[in-house]
Order: sequence, then C-alpha cells, then structure tokens
Amino acid sequence: MRKTLIAGIAAGAFIAAAAALPASAAEGDAQLSVLHAVPGVTVDVYVNGALTLDDFTPGTLAGPLPLPAGTYSVAITAFDAADAGAPVIGPVDLTLAANGNYTAVAHLDASGKPTATLFTNDTATLAAGEGRLTVRHVAAAPAVDVLAAGSPVITNLANPGESVLTLPAGTVSASVAATGTTAPVIGPADVDVAEGTNTIVYAWGSLADGNLALAVQTIGGLHSNPGGVPAGNAGLVATNQPADSTGLLVGGALALLLAALAITAVRSRALAKVER
Amino acid sequence: MLLITGCGVAADAPATPTPAGVARSATPTAIPAPTPGATGAPAGPAASGVPLTDASLGAHPAEPVVQPARVQVPSLGIDVTVAPEGVDATGALALPDDPAIASWYRFGPTPWSTAGTAVIAAHVDSFDYGVGQFALLLDAPVGTEIVITSVDGRVARFTVREVSMTDKTGVDWNTVFDRSGPHLLALVTCGGEFDYETGHYLSNVIVTAVPIA
Repeated sequence: MRKTLIAGIAAGAFIAAAAALPASAAEGDAQLSVLHAVPGVTVDVYVNGALTLDDFTPGTLAGPLPLPAGTYSVAITAFDAADAGAPVIGPVDLTLAANGNYTAVAHLDASGKPTATLFTNDTATLAAGEGRLTVRHVAAAPAVDVLAAGSPVITNLANPGESVLTLPAGTVSASVAATGTTAPVIGPADVDVAEGTNTIVYAWGSLADGNLALAVQTIGGLHSNPGGVPAGNAGLVATNQPADSTGLLVGGALALLLAALAITAVRSRALAKVER
Repeated sequence: MLLITGCGVAADAPATPTPAGVARSATPTAIPAPTPGATGAPAGPAASGVPLTDASLGAHPAEPVVQPARVQVPSLGIDVTVAPEGVDATGALALPDDPAIASWYRFGPTPWSTAGTAVIAAHVDSFDYGVGQFALLLDAPVGTEIVITSVDGRVARFTVREVSMTDKTGVDWNTVFDRSGPHLLALVTCGGEFDYETGHYLSNVIVTAVPIA
C-alpha cells in the first residue's frame, strides 16, 4: 500500500510538537525507514518538529527507526535551514500502525517536482527457498516496464507505484524500460533476490537530467524452513520386514501343505475302504 | 529526540517479523489533518540513533559464504562430498540421488557460521546405489569427531553430542534448521521402520554435534 502525501513545495504551517522521539524499540512499535531519492540536494529531516536526520544525502537510506504507532509530522528542509519553517517537502503526516513496516521516500514526482510518499513494506513470511522482490517507481519519468533477463515481469508501473513479486531465491538481471519497450533506461543490473528477504528496488532520479538510478533496501528474517528431509527410499536398513508379503508367503505355504495332507488323507481312507 | 550527525553503515536492516496482518489497500487514503501539538519550538541536535546506509545498488555485496565440500567421520569410515542445495518441489530439503553426495542447506548457516545450525543430510540408501555411508551414523557414540572441509580448504571440527531417531511427524524442523541460536552441526538421514507401500522411511536420524574450539 502506498499513501500519497502533499506534493511539491508546501507552505503549510510549521507543526511543532513537544513529543520526544523514543530512542529504543518497544513491543508493538512500527518500523520507519526514510529514503532520500531527490537528486542533487542535501537535506535535513524534521519529525514532530525535532531535527532527526542532519545533512541527509541523496541515495541514502535511514533506519529502521522504531516508533510507537501514531501520526508523525515530517518536514524536509535544505541542509542549511535554521529550522523547519520553510520546508522543501511537507510538512506531511505519516500515520504508522502498530507493528507496521514503512519506508517514507522523498522523491521527484513524474513531472519532476519534489514530493514524499509513504510505502508499506510487505513483511509476510515467505515459503522456503523464496525471496520477495518489490519494485517502486519514484523517478521523474513516465510509466515503465521492469524486465528480468530481457522479458517484462512488471508492466506499466507509474510514479509513485509499486509492484511485488515472489520469486525463487537467486540473482535477477534486471532492467527498466519505458513501458512497451525493451531498451533499458536503467540497467541491466544484477539484483540479488535473497532468500527470506524482501528486496525493495527503487527506480529514482530524473530521465530528463540523465541521472536515473536504482536504490535498494532489504528486509530479512521472513524465511520459512524446509518441511522435511526425505533421505532414503530402498528400505535396505529398515527395522521392519515387509509384513504383508511375509504373511502371504507363510499363509500360502501352509495352505498348500494342508491341501496336500488332505489329499493324502482322502487317498488313505479310500484305499482303506477298498482293502476291507 | 534523535539526530543523525554522521554516517553509520548498518547491515541490511532486518525487520521485526510481523504477523501476516498488515493491511494493504490499492487506493491511497485521504491525508489526515495535522496532529495538533504543544507549542514551543524544539531544541536542536540530540543523541544519534538511526542507522544510515548507502542505498546504491551494489553498495553492499553479500558476504562470501564458506561452503562445505566434504564431510568425514574418521572413526566410522564416513567420507562423502557435499553439494549446496535448496528445497525440492514439496518444500523439503533437496538431496542428490547418490548417497555419497551429501546435501548442505544453502540458505541456512554453514559449518563456519558463528550462530545457528548447519544442516547436512544424505540418503541412508537408494535403489540405484544401495546402502549409503550415513547409515553408520545411527551407532555413532557421543564424542565421535566429525571433520568438515570447505571448498577453499578450511577445516571445521565437531563432536557428536546426541544421536536421535525421531518419527518424521514429530520432528520440529524449525529447531533443526535454526539460524540464530548456538552454533551447531546437524547430520540428518532416514531410518527406523520403512513404509513398503509408499517407499519412505518413517523416521529421521539426526546427529547433533557441537563445534570443537
């Protein structure tokens, strides 16, 4: 899920809150990461009025920061701003649910204006041997296709959208092309879709400025384990014999023996009768 | 209050695994009204606490993994090669057909990891190859030495702490394939009674071994 926040240069009132941000994680906390995906500007990030990220440079991921569930006001300013009074992005409200895992991305919208989007990260457990690939389009560029080894696996992804795939763990040679085409505007580049991990790839930057790039965030610990070890199929060291076939063997032989005895007995009686 | 003043390089951020219940909707929700807060401008810098990571693709190549190539149990005469394996189509550990080639679960710890259990398994027998060397594990005494050699020639040694035969339906595979607890080695095969109808053994033989310093 994504939640589009206020776009562009906002002149909203500076929201000051005295609430201090906690320094340690607690049960039920949300996890928030912040990705700086606006090319060319070093920024400061204020959360609830407190300077939280200082001199934050493009292409950097901050976090995860554990936060109690709630709504947080975020403002992004030039790096040399004295306070959050004239933010470049925001102030915007981020609503974080308990145990949720989020990435707030400062990025250019499709037309090149700075904005911010809150994404929810999928942390559902994966099946054994699988990885999750999340692709997010946060670049100043039209809709794109994402190709794996030259074939589209995601089509018509627009800014600020995302697509989530589940794949066997492994390395994917990924490229990004204008939707409906195959000529790469980013890549091809090897992306490790790691087992038990949500590998989140961001296409960011500006097509017009020629600085499109891929950024990566990973969330691990989502794996499942094998459900068994099937390590034998011939029965050569079995502690039991095949009971059914043994029974038939014994029973069959006994039946034959009894039948033979019966025939002998009949013959004997017949002879005895004849002899008298 | 938190302030980041410098760059700290963090490992890839692990999430607290959440229960599958994080709601997702396709449509963006409306922007709520700003939270009214107390007046008063906040103070400036505070103690740093939030990790910063270079998010460029390729900035953090995966650490090379020391991969096992050979398992020997000298006192029992066991000597098999090891291949890295994942899961088969049913979600069980994949194993080579040949009982002389053991399988190491490549998504879990290695014998050189500092935590968790490295799992190595081999067939106890097969139609094509006969009885396998792991059939000898059932009688391994406590203290038996196990030697693992890596692809690049490193050696890790373990001693047997326990040999168990457990009904397959009773094995806790999350414990066997543990990734974060004490560093152990598990050698796994099959044994016990055989189901002649389905062609499977009913039990797993699991040898738990602890590292020798």
